[in-house]
Amino acid sequence: MLRFHPITALLLAPLALLAAGDDELFFESKVRPLLMKRCYECHSLEKKTKGGLALDSRTGWQHGGDNGPAIVPGDLAKSLVIKAVRYLDADFAMPPKSRLPADEVAILEEWVKRGAPDTRTGETAQAAKPKRTIDLAEGRKFWAFQPVTNPAAPTVKDATWPKDPIDRFLLAKQEAQGLKPAGDADRHTWIRRVSLDLTGLPASAEEVVAFSNDKSDAAYAKVVDRLLASPAYGERWARHWLDLTGYADMIGTSNEVFAEHAWRYRDYLIQAFNQDKPFDQFIKEQLAGDLMPSSSPEQRASQLVATGFLMVGDLEIVNPDKAKMETDHIDTQLIKIGGTFLGMTMGCARCHDHKFDPIALEDYYGMAGILRSSPSSGKMTGFGVWSTIRSIPLPETPAQLTARQKAEMDHAAMIAALKAEQAKLSEENKSIVAKLDVMEKAAKAKPAAPNDKPATAAATPSPTIKASPEKEVLTKRRDELTGLMRRKTDEIQHAEFFKSKAPKAFAMQDGEKPGDMPIYVRGNPYATAAVVPRGALRVASWDKFPAIPAGQSGRLQLAEWIANRRNPLTARVTVNRLWQKLFGEGLVRSVDYFGERGERPSHPELLDHLATRFMADGWSQKRFLRGLVLSHAYRLSSANHAEGLRLDPENRLVWRMNRQRLEAEAIRDSLLKVSGELTAMSGGPGLVLEYIENAAGLTAAGINPPNYHHRKARPAQEFERTIYLPVMRNGPTSADKIRSFFDFVDPAGVAGQRNQTVMPTQSLFLLNNELVRKRAAALSKQLIAAHKDENVRLEALWLRAWNRPISSDERVSAANFLKEITPLLKTPRAPEALEAARWQELCHSLLASNAFIYRL
Amino acid sequence: MLPPISRRQMLQRTACGFGALAFHNLLQAAGTPTSPYANGAAPTAKRVIFLFMQGGPSQIDLFDPKTFINDRHGKSIDSPLRKEVTQVGTDKFLALGTQAPVRPRGKSGMMISDLLPHLATVADDICLLRGMNADNPQHAGATQQFHTGTFTEVRPSMGSWISYGLGTENQNLPSFVTIHPQGIRTYDNSFLPAAHQGTSLTVPASAQSLPIENLGNVSENEAIQRKRLDLIQRMNRQLKSDVLGDESMEGMIKSMELAFRMQTTTPAIVDLSKESKATLDLYGVGGKDTDKFGRACLLARKLSESGVRFVQVSIGGWDHHGDIRGNLPKLCAQTDQPVAALIKDLKSRGLLEDTLVLWSGEFGRTPWSQDLSGKSPIDKHGREHQPESFCSWMAGGGIKGGLTYGESDEIGYRTVDGKVHVHDLHATILHLLGVDHLKLTARHLGRDYRLTDVYGDVVKEILA
Repeated sequence: MLRFHPITALLLAPLALLAAGDDELFFESKVRPLLMKRCYECHSLEKKTKGGLALDSRTGWQHGGDNGPAIVPGDLAKSLVIKAVRYLDADFAMPPKSRLPADEVAILEEWVKRGAPDTRTGETAQAAKPKRTIDLAEGRKFWAFQPVTNPAAPTVKDATWPKDPIDRFLLAKQEAQGLKPAGDADRHTWIRRVSLDLTGLPASAEEVVAFSNDKSDAAYAKVVDRLLASPAYGERWARHWLDLTGYADMIGTSNEVFAEHAWRYRDYLIQAFNQDKPFDQFIKEQLAGDLMPSSSPEQRASQLVATGFLMVGDLEIVNPDKAKMETDHIDTQLIKIGGTFLGMTMGCARCHDHKFDPIALEDYYGMAGILRSSPSSGKMTGFGVWSTIRSIPLPETPAQLTARQKAEMDHAAMIAALKAEQAKLSEENKSIVAKLDVMEKAAKAKPAAPNDKPATAAATPSPTIKASPEKEVLTKRRDELTGLMRRKTDEIQHAEFFKSKAPKAFAMQDGEKPGDMPIYVRGNPYATAAVVPRGALRVASWDKFPAIPAGQSGRLQLAEWIANRRNPLTARVTVNRLWQKLFGEGLVRSVDYFGERGERPSHPELLDHLATRFMADGWSQKRFLRGLVLSHAYRLSSANHAEGLRLDPENRLVWRMNRQRLEAEAIRDSLLKVSGELTAMSGGPGLVLEYIENAAGLTAAGINPPNYHHRKARPAQEFERTIYLPVMRNGPTSADKIRSFFDFVDPAGVAGQRNQTVMPTQSLFLLNNELVRKRAAALSKQLIAAHKDENVRLEALWLRAWNRPISSDERVSAANFLKEITPLLKTPRAPEALEAARWQELCHSLLASNAFIYRL
Repeated sequence: MLPPISRRQMLQRTACGFGALAFHNLLQAAGTPTSPYANGAAPTAKRVIFLFMQGGPSQIDLFDPKTFINDRHGKSIDSPLRKEVTQVGTDKFLALGTQAPVRPRGKSGMMISDLLPHLATVADDICLLRGMNADNPQHAGATQQFHTGTFTEVRPSMGSWISYGLGTENQNLPSFVTIHPQGIRTYDNSFLPAAHQGTSLTVPASAQSLPIENLGNVSENEAIQRKRLDLIQRMNRQLKSDVLGDESMEGMIKSMELAFRMQTTTPAIVDLSKESKATLDLYGVGGKDTDKFGRACLLARKLSESGVRFVQVSIGGWDHHGDIRGNLPKLCAQTDQPVAALIKDLKSRGLLEDTLVLWSGEFGRTPWSQDLSGKSPIDKHGREHQPESFCSWMAGGGIKGGLTYGESDEIGYRTVDGKVHVHDLHATILHLLGVDHLKLTARHLGRDYRLTDVYGDVVKEILA
């Protein structure tokens, strides 16, 4: 289609008149203005050099951009500029916003045909902007890439204050600033603090009383050891870890496709934390558990499940362009590895060298090659453009196998029973249809042959008179049967879909063709550059990356590199996050990012002391946390004091404890614990797939794969810890709505630290949500049953809800409250009901207050 | 005595409620010469209403008819697809003509389908973008990109960015409200403070149902709830003074009062019963097809008028893979009158000049047919997703009315002129609001993020 722009007439006419030799004039009058007008905006050293291409100098097009020289003089077919302006390939069409008029394309073609004469000799001397190159030696000077040291704890003036070397590092800095630490928190505050921090649950009233009465200094350690040994510890810390992984019970966000095996990874984590699995081993299992030796089916299964770390994130599986999809998956995995273990933002280096940190494209594609050697997704059979996340059968112990075979037989029997019922219904239906058919035919036969024999007429009711009662009954039953059979079909389909199968897990395994991969130019899998050897971040390496045995992905070598004592990042990043969970802020406050634009550690020596100590103590998280919570610093009051506010308002020197708002999970779990309704769980699927109303699209093939909607929860889920509830990607379910109000992390990225926002929707939740309301009812019921005396009951309530004794002011306020609301409540009602209503209101007040949702 | 808190903490971790937006606003309200985000031009729009047509409305049927395709209805055409790309049920590449006549409308002669007769009456107020481009061919990814600029990681949505950049005009209302949202990522604040998350709202179907969760008092009466709140607040204030001040706890105390008031103020705002009959009729409230979306659009106008910076109204159902002939008219019937009513209503109230209205799906649909069963006659076929070239429109807020901008190729698969990528659309929306998309940034993990990522050009040609 030719369109005539005003400029066309001007340009076109002289073109014909130009003599073949007037190349320079041609360039100056036609080509140069055209390039300036159409191309310089994005392709000039003055403005931008998109795709690395500059067209404002001869050297610019000679060197070309990402795709090589832009013009091959005299060769139209090989000149990328011509290919682009011809708009033949939609992915390689320029200018991007609209096609050039045909006459302008003709000018460029003519120019190339003439050998691309270019008068811009002056400009050829102009050097291209010096390309920033990553200087590894220079990069290693940055604090985070320096080897971890083991600094001696400094001496302090007040030698009686420290209980642990940690305290000496902190106090030394405070003393230098003329700052005194706050006083100690009282015992009630401390036991609530440590209980919430280590287990995500408040202490029980009995635990509070016992600890308050035990005046020995050993009492603290006794509490800590009890908490670390409690299964609730793993449930708490596994959730922290899940925040780094993008964990959900859904795959991607398209069409609610469920991640049926994800829960196994969640259970693996709970177990790993409770067993205090050495952290270096924990890292290795999550990256390469499938490649590690094992001595039992359980261990093998557990190690396979561990690699779910790389699979449980937000992976889009419905892109019709599979090369692009695979690239996106690898990127998700690399971002996760970088953020979780190294505190680095790897994603930036997918398209270009990192702008701030010494991470080059080669580093990214070196690691990407390792992951690409273990493909995490594959084509889903029977479902159009959908892929699926790789799942692997898990080895079973003989006992597990027997149990499963028994379950399979039971299930098969159940399906057979359903089918028998279906057959019965179908049989009945058939006979009714046949009967109705006969009636129908007879009825039709009658008017068609009005002079038929009287015998037939007597047997068949005339259509003009009312249908026989028999026909009515049959018709009704037939309609019923249609519904029943449909329902039965759904039940059979559901039962067959979820029939007991060999256990599987989302897990990694090396692919068939492991190997190095090329750099994808600007992340585009269709534009490849040099192949780079597989490896790890060079700036954080102390040696050459170990050789990868032939036929292997290199994940094991990468895992060993990350979990190595000489890795400058892993231990630092890990201990800093653990510190942050207890003290509210990290020593490096940007907990997921240790790079140039992140924050510097407030106490670099303390950070190194902690990292060294952690590794030297066998990478034991329990022993590490034990040291932290028994320090004097952890015992400090969270109250402000004037001197501290003046000298260090942000509390960088840790002169007091930071107050923390509880996370969504801790609020819900605490409500359940305080109301006495919390039930113990040993894991298992969060998705309620056994209910037919939750699963849809179960046919064996279709356009979209089976999907999940959490319409109906298991009754027990109301009382289980929040970590066991399914995590949806497209917004929370009714069962755990609290997550959406209290800063749950979107299950997609690496989030080592939760936000603590304040929103009126949270207040509405606390005021009116039935979760709080029901807990208040249960709590009041138990208090009334246990304590006759109102005063004793108040004391019990305060100890249970807030873990501290009621103050005299509070006693007055509470008594007044109970008195004042009595006449406002509906009457008449039984005295017991009135009492329950009054106390529910009071309990609700305590559970909705700041003393409950903050820890001091 | 309150401890001072750093701006970093204020903005990133402990932003407090709608009220805090006022403070935030003072810090960095755009559209003022001192705003760090200002683009230097006078803003022409103060607020945005985004009508999100989730599923992918068919641009070829509604706005961009193709003679080439109509002439070959039911016949095979050449596939323009890259060979690695699979589409199901499109292997024959049958041209599928438009479902209803598309004609020139208004003084401008803008092409609009007979399926949208009401929109046709406001053709001269809208600017039709016929060269829209996006990068992801699936709903989730494309919806995410349309709202956040990207689909490879979770980032703040457009409404959150605009709330963050411009703050609120009404401290008792959230600055970003989303009516019947389609997925959390369409209103996620991501790494921006939570005050910029879209507040999800349901248009009450009856006087008993609530527009926001947990709005209904669970005590037996309001007096008891007030007593309960008073007790909570007394204990909260005591705790705050025990620790000698705490910004977050103070925020919670204020937020409790606001929440209590919201129980009465919010239903009043969403109450449509006080609207005149003429207004209700204009939007089709009470109409068989138009009632639900009519209520949503009318509510959007009310919220916008009350100072909500960014209102989004979403409706799904545009994903016509099959029987587009039967299904497309249904969606048009539900939405056409309410959408046109919104333009007319805003205009008659003098609000259209500084309110930007955006209508768009996450992508469009192919000019060739799709037949998932492989057995249906051509009249029962649908169309596959098409992010390569589709149509959106904008109106008001400094947009050139009556302009048709952009052109697709002969078959309507690729844009050949006036390409507007989603990034360009974002840049342009911010520009109209007086914000430079290059300057509106938020630091996260060491990097300064933008709604437009590293892309985006303001489409100057469509500015009035």
